[in-house]
Amino acid sequence: MTDELKPQSDPQSEAAGSERARAAATPASARRSKRQFFRKKKVCRFCADRVDFIDYKNVELLQPFIQERGKIVPRRMSGTCSRHQRWLKVAIKRARNIALLPFASEI
Amino acid sequence: MEERIYDLIFICRPDTPEEEVNKLIALLEQTAAERGGRVEKAEKWGTRKLAYRVRRHREGYYVYLVVHGTRGDMIQEMERRLKVADPVIKYLTVRLDDELKRQRKLAQRRERRAARRTRKPKSAAAAQQAAS
Repeated sequence: MTDELKPQSDPQSEAAGSERARAAATPASARRSKRQFFRKKKVCRFCADRVDFIDYKNVELLQPFIQERGKIVPRRMSGTCSRHQRWLKVAIKRARNIALLPFASEI
Repeated sequence: MEERIYDLIFICRPDTPEEEVNKLIALLEQTAAERGGRVEKAEKWGTRKLAYRVRRHREGYYVYLVVHGTRGDMIQEMERRLKVADPVIKYLTVRLDDELKRQRKLAQRRERRAARRTRKPKSAAAAQQAAS
């Protein structure tokens, strides 16, 4: 933090110094952004298993896609592909309807 | 007209005697038969915990039926009977034939693709041999 702030505080006094500071700062920020954006590639669980049909009666299958409070886990978190997420959504909603899964859990 | 397949699940009060449940299943079978359908499968899942309270019950006796039929009024009548039945606290009907058809289609397509994939390398090898 302090190392980054110091060069910025005196750029007018020394142009070359500021340039050097910028050059020194860029690799650090690039490294930071790389770390920030690096994510393990998630693979759709259903595609890996070649699932053609998601059964709403299979509670054990649906449970991992339900959050603690009963929300459906978003695609960006579970890595499910859009097609399987669509089927999953329907299955979860049916299971909710017949009290196999909660709409919203108490506590 | 093509036959339709339905899943029918209903939940009874947990204190319902077994014979009452059997009577309900028989009643539904009869209803289906009257309207040109049939109950293909009847499963009693037994008492399960409900995910939320239904009519002040925390548990329920689940019964699962698979119904085949062609006429829409069959399901209507079955649902009406369930609505009227005293021990039933919740029910759900899902039409499944479209999804099963889709499933079959996808499985078929996958099979065909797999067959093509196994054939291709052989032909490629043959071509290579012919070239050399």
